[in-house]
Amino acid sequence: MSPATCQLRFFRNILILIFLSISVVAQSQEKLPRLLSAPVRTEAPQSAGHPIDGFIMKRLKESGLTISRTAEPSTLLRRAHFVLTGLPPRPEHVVAFEQAPNTEKLIDELLNSQHYGERWAQHWLDIIRWAETVGFETNQERKNAWHYRDWVINSLNADKPYDEFIFEQIAGDTREIDAALGFLVAGPANLPGQIGRDVEAMRQARQDELDEVIRTVSQSILGLTIGCARCHDHKFDPITERDYYAMQAIFSGLTYGDRRLRGMENDMWSDRVPEVEDRLKALRIELEKLRVQLKLNAPLSDVQTDSFEPTEATAVRMVIYETGNGKAASLYEFEAWSKDKNVALATNGAISNASSFALSNQTRHFDNLIDGSVDKRQAFPWVSAKPGQAFIEIKFAKSESVDRVVWHKGSSMPADYLIEILPPNSSTWKTVSHTLNRLPRTDDTRAPEKMMVVTPSEKNTKQITDLTAAIRKQLSELARLSAGPQTYAANFSPDLEPTLVLKRGDPMQNSGTIAPAIPVILGNLQLTEQTPEPDRRVALANDLTRDDHPLTARVIVNRIWQYHFGTGLVSTTSDFGKMGAAPTHPELLDYLAVWFVENGWSLKKLHRFIMTSQTFQQSSRPNQAAAKIDAGSRLLWRFPPRRLEAEGIRDTILAVSGKLNLETGGPGWDFFNRRGGLSDYTSKETFDGSGWRRMIYAHKIRMQAVDIFSSFDCPDGGQLTPTRTQSITPLQSLSLLNSPFANRQASFFAERVKAEAGSDVSKQIDRAFQLAYSRLPEANERVVMIELATKHGLSQVCRAILNSSEFVFIP
Amino acid sequence: MNSETLLDRRRFLAGTAQGMSSMALASMLQAEETSQNPNAPRTGHFPGRAKNVIVVFCSGALSHVDTFDFKPELVRRHGQPLPGNEKLVSFQGPNGNLTKPLWDFKPRGQSGKMTSDLLPHIGEMSDDICFLHSLTNKSNTHGPAENVMNTGFAFDGFPSMGAWVNFALGSGNQNLPAFVALEDPRGMPQSGPNNWANGFLPAAFQGTPFSSTKPIRHLQRPEDLSSQTDKATRNALRFLDEQNLNSRFPGDEQLSARIASYQLAARMQLTVPEVANLKFEPDHVRKLYGADSTNTHKAAFAENCILARRLVERGVRFVQLFNGAYASGGRINWDGHSKLKEQYDVHGEILDQPVAGLLKDLKQRGMLQDTLVVFATEFGRMPMFQAGTFGRDHNPNGFTCWLAGAGVKPGMSYGSTDEFGFKAQEDVISPHDFHATIMHLLGLDHEELTFYHNGIERRLTDVHGKVIRDILA
Repeated sequence: MSPATCQLRFFRNILILIFLSISVVAQSQEKLPRLLSAPVRTEAPQSAGHPIDGFIMKRLKESGLTISRTAEPSTLLRRAHFVLTGLPPRPEHVVAFEQAPNTEKLIDELLNSQHYGERWAQHWLDIIRWAETVGFETNQERKNAWHYRDWVINSLNADKPYDEFIFEQIAGDTREIDAALGFLVAGPANLPGQIGRDVEAMRQARQDELDEVIRTVSQSILGLTIGCARCHDHKFDPITERDYYAMQAIFSGLTYGDRRLRGMENDMWSDRVPEVEDRLKALRIELEKLRVQLKLNAPLSDVQTDSFEPTEATAVRMVIYETGNGKAASLYEFEAWSKDKNVALATNGAISNASSFALSNQTRHFDNLIDGSVDKRQAFPWVSAKPGQAFIEIKFAKSESVDRVVWHKGSSMPADYLIEILPPNSSTWKTVSHTLNRLPRTDDTRAPEKMMVVTPSEKNTKQITDLTAAIRKQLSELARLSAGPQTYAANFSPDLEPTLVLKRGDPMQNSGTIAPAIPVILGNLQLTEQTPEPDRRVALANDLTRDDHPLTARVIVNRIWQYHFGTGLVSTTSDFGKMGAAPTHPELLDYLAVWFVENGWSLKKLHRFIMTSQTFQQSSRPNQAAAKIDAGSRLLWRFPPRRLEAEGIRDTILAVSGKLNLETGGPGWDFFNRRGGLSDYTSKETFDGSGWRRMIYAHKIRMQAVDIFSSFDCPDGGQLTPTRTQSITPLQSLSLLNSPFANRQASFFAERVKAEAGSDVSKQIDRAFQLAYSRLPEANERVVMIELATKHGLSQVCRAILNSSEFVFIP
Repeated sequence: MNSETLLDRRRFLAGTAQGMSSMALASMLQAEETSQNPNAPRTGHFPGRAKNVIVVFCSGALSHVDTFDFKPELVRRHGQPLPGNEKLVSFQGPNGNLTKPLWDFKPRGQSGKMTSDLLPHIGEMSDDICFLHSLTNKSNTHGPAENVMNTGFAFDGFPSMGAWVNFALGSGNQNLPAFVALEDPRGMPQSGPNNWANGFLPAAFQGTPFSSTKPIRHLQRPEDLSSQTDKATRNALRFLDEQNLNSRFPGDEQLSARIASYQLAARMQLTVPEVANLKFEPDHVRKLYGADSTNTHKAAFAENCILARRLVERGVRFVQLFNGAYASGGRINWDGHSKLKEQYDVHGEILDQPVAGLLKDLKQRGMLQDTLVVFATEFGRMPMFQAGTFGRDHNPNGFTCWLAGAGVKPGMSYGSTDEFGFKAQEDVISPHDFHATIMHLLGLDHEELTFYHNGIERRLTDVHGKVIRDILA
C-alpha cells in the first residue's frame, strides 16, 4: 500500500469515527444569495403521509435508497428519551411503552418534563460558549452568571416562542427580563486589571470585548461569521469591514458585569430599603450624640485635611500606629501646604522616605507619596511592607511656613496616627495633629481596646464600637437591598461613544465613524449615529425576529435537526455562508423554516413534528447495500446512531446507579476542590449530594478541562461550539474504567440492583440490563454476566455495563 | 512521499459529499487496528528533518536582556533614560531608567556567544543552539501572550501547536499519549490547559498532562481490585461490545473503534509506568541533568527533562516542558517586575542545568538529529527598571527564543533588537513565523495544515507566517 493510500484510509476512517457531524464541507457558489432571501414555501412531495418523510424519501429514491422500517419500541423509547431529555427511560417506561407504543403521547410526556429544558439548554450554551468565568489567566468567577443558564432552561421548558427567546437575549432589558442578557456576555473577556496601561492595550481589549459579542450574535442567530470581517472584508461572504463596525455600533454601549435582576425578589428587596434607611439614620443620630457628649472630633475622611497654625518647618512626618482593618499602612499621596503651594511635591524639591515599602508585582514605593498623582490608572500608592506601625517622612527643599497637611488614603485607612513637623535648626519634632480626640470611622473594625481614642471610660469606647458595628451591618444590608438581586449580564451605558471603523482591525488607526447597522446584504435598520440606547438593539432584535427573516428560522430549525439526527441539513450549523456546507435537502430546510414560523416559532411543536416522522422513528441498523451508496447516512436511509455527549454519559450513569439528584436551578456545583483563578484547579475524586446533580448545573469554568468528561469532547467555553466533535480515545476508556467516580457509581448501581431484584443472580443480571439498556439480556449475555457476578461480584458486572458501547450510544 | 498527502483529507471530504462508499471500504479495512487510531503515524507534506519536538516554555516572560541578548550599549548607558521613550508607559505603568544586565555576560562555546552568568550551562551549549533574537508578540499580557506562543491566537480556545502536530502526524508510539504536557513542579503555567488544548480539533489530539510528580489520572485499576478481577471485567466488557457490534450494528466503525480504544488503554497502562519510572536512569545521567540536586524544585524539573527525553525516545511526537508556574508576582515564574535579581537567581538554578543536560543527553544519544528542541517564552522584558522597583516590565516588542537540533543551523544567532534590547529591529520574527518554521522542520506546510471551524479553514498560523529559511541547515 502506498503511503498516500494509507493516508487516505486514515483520514477517511478518522473522519467517520470522529468528525461525524462535520464531515461534509462541500461548497456552493450560489448558496448564500439563495439563503439570503426569505424561505420559500414549498409543497411536500405527496408520496408519504408525513411531509418530512416526503422530502426525505424523494431524495432517497433519487439515490436508489429507501427508508428503513420502524425501530423496535424499546429502541425508539431510548432514542426519544436521550434526544429530548438526555436521560435513559426507566424499566417501567419500557414495559408500558412496549405494551402500548403511543409515540405521540411519549413525545408529549418527554417535552413536558423538566429534563427537556435541561438537555436542550446545554445545546444552546455550547453554541454561544457560555461559561461562568472570565477566561484567560485569572479566569475569575462570574458569580451571578447562573441566572442565565436557568433562564434558558426555563424558557425552553415554557416553550417560549423562539422569536421572543431571541428578542429577550438582545433587548430583554426593555421588557425587564435581565437574566436573558447573559447571552451577550457569554464569551470570555479579560479583566481591566489584566490589561496593560498603555492606550493601545486598553483600546484593543475593548475591541476584543465587543468582538466576542458580535461573534455570539452573528453565529448563533444568523449562522454568519461576521467576526471574520474585523480586519478586512469577509473573504467568502458579502460582508464588509464596514458591516462589522456598523454591527459593533449597535452594541457600543455594552459593558460586561452584574446587573440588577428585576422581578418579584427585586421588588421585595426594594420595599425593605426605607425601613433599613430609617434604622441607619437613627443609629447615626445616636452616634453623633455620643460624639458631642464625648467631645470628639468628626471622623477622618478618605482625603483628610489637618489644619494648624502656620509653622516654619523643614520636614513633616506621619506615624501611623494602626489602620482601620489591620492591613499594612498605605497612602496614595501626602501633601503639605504653605498657603497655596504644596511644598511636599517631588517637583518642588521634596524628598520622601518611609519606614518600609512593600514590593509586590507593582510599585509600592514611598516615591509615590509625592508624585502629585492620585489617578489610580496611572499612579501607585505607598504601601508599608507589613501591617503594624509605620511612618513616612518628607523633607522640604527649604524651610517653609506650613499651615495644613492633606493625605489621601491608599489601600488601607489610617486609624490612629500622629503628624509632626520639624522646625528649622531643631532636632525636636513638634506635634501638629493626632487622632486621640477623634471619633473612629464606621469602617474601623478594630476592637475597642485596640483604639487609641481617649474617652472618659472604656465603656464609652465600647459604646462607640457597638454603634459603628451596628451601622456597618445596616450599611451592608442597605447596599444589598438597594442593588437588588444581581445577574451577570450585559449592561448598557446611555452615553454612547462614536464607533470607529478601524483599519485592518488596528485600534490605533481608524477611518472615521459609522452609524449602527446590520450587514448591508441583510437590509437596513434606518439607524443613525444619533440613535440612542436601547433603540439600536431593539431595532436589531425586531429585525432578527421578523417572520420573513432569511436566516433566523432556517438557522434554528437546522440546529434542531442536528441535535435530533447528529448532523444538520446544513452540516455547518453556525455557518450558512459560502464556506459552509450546502444543504442536503434545501427544500426541506425551507419547508421547516416556514412551518416553524407559521406554528408560532414553537420549538416543542417542531420537535413533535420531527419526531412523529418515519425518518426519526426508523431503525438505526446498518444495511450494507445502502452503506455503499451513503456511508454517512446523510440521506437518512436509517437513523444514524451516535455516542452520547459527555453530560449525557455522566447523567445517565447517575440515573442508572439511582444517585441522580434532580434538584433544579441555582448556583452550580463544583468539579474542583479548589477554584484556581491564578493557581491550579484540583479535581474532586468523589462526589455526593449536589455533585450528583445533572451536569448542566455544574459550575462551568472556562478553559478548564473537567476530570473524565473533557476527554468525551465536552467543550471548554473557549470557542463557539455549534457541533461537538466525537473522539474515541484510550483516555476515555481509562477514565470510565478506573476513576473513583465511575467505580463508586458501579457499586451504587449494584446495590440498587440487589435491592430491586433480590438475591437471585440471574434476576440481578436481568434487572441491571433493564436499567442500563432498557432490555433483557440475551441468553449468552446472561451466562457471561452470571459468571462474572459469581466470581467477581455484581459491581463488576455494573462496571462492565457502564463502560459498554450500548450504554453510551443513542440507538 | 509527495506534497499531497494531507490534501487527501479534502479529497475524501469531497468524496463523502458525493456519496462515496466510505463505510463499505472502511469495513474492509477493519482488521487494521491502526486505521482506527487517531495517533497512528502519518507522513507530512514533505520529508521533515524533525520527527519529534520538545518545547521548553518559560512561563512569566524570561528577560532576554539578562540572559541571551547582550547589549554593550545598555551597559554603557546604565542609569540613563531610554532615548526617545523617556516617559514610556508600559503594561504596569511608568518606566524608570535603562538598567544594565543584572548578571555579567561572557563568551561561551567555540562560537564565543555572549550569554549571561544566570544560565551558564545553557550558555555552554551555544554551539548547538540557534538563537532568535527578534521575536515579537502582539499581546503584552501573560495569558493572551502565552496563548499566542502556544496556539497562534491571543484568544482562548484555539488548538495548541502540539495538538496540530498530533493531528497532522500522529505518533510514533501507540502505547503512549502522542502529545504530553509536563507541568512545572511548582504549578501550572498562566494560561493553564489552553497551552495544550485541542481547541476545536477532536479531543483525541489534546495534550495529556503529567510529569515526574504527577501521574496520568486514572491510569491504573482501582487499588481494591485484583488484576484477575480487572481482567475478567474487561473480558466481559469486550464480549458485550462485540456482541453489540456484531448483532446490532455489523460493520460500525465507531463501535469497533471503541473496542480498540480499550485495548489501547490496556497497553498504555503497561507502557506509561515503564517510561515514567526514572529508576532505570543511571546515576551519571541523573547527575548530568541535575536530578541529584538537593534543590527539590531543580531535581523535580530535571526529572521532567529526563522524562521528556524518555518519551521522545519512545516515539512520542510532541512534549511540552513548562518552567515557571502561575502568576505570583514573579515568585514562582519569570515575571520579574519588582525584585528580578533575587527571584531570577532562584529560577535560573532550576532551569539551567536540566535544560543544558537535556541538550547534551539528546546529543550524545544521537537524538538531536531528529528531535527539535524549542526554547520559548511569551515575551521579553524592558531594558529599563520600572519606576520605583528593582524589576523590568513586559516587553513584547523584542525578545529571544531559541531552537536546537533537527534541521536547524547550530551555533547561529538570527535577528536582533536595537542597541538596548527594547525593540526587534533586524529580521523581525512574529510568533507565526516561529510556528511556520517549526512546522516546516516537521515536514508540514503551515498553510496547508487546516481544519474547518465556524466558517474558516483554520490554521495554526492564522493568515500569517513565513518560514525562516536562513536558519535551516
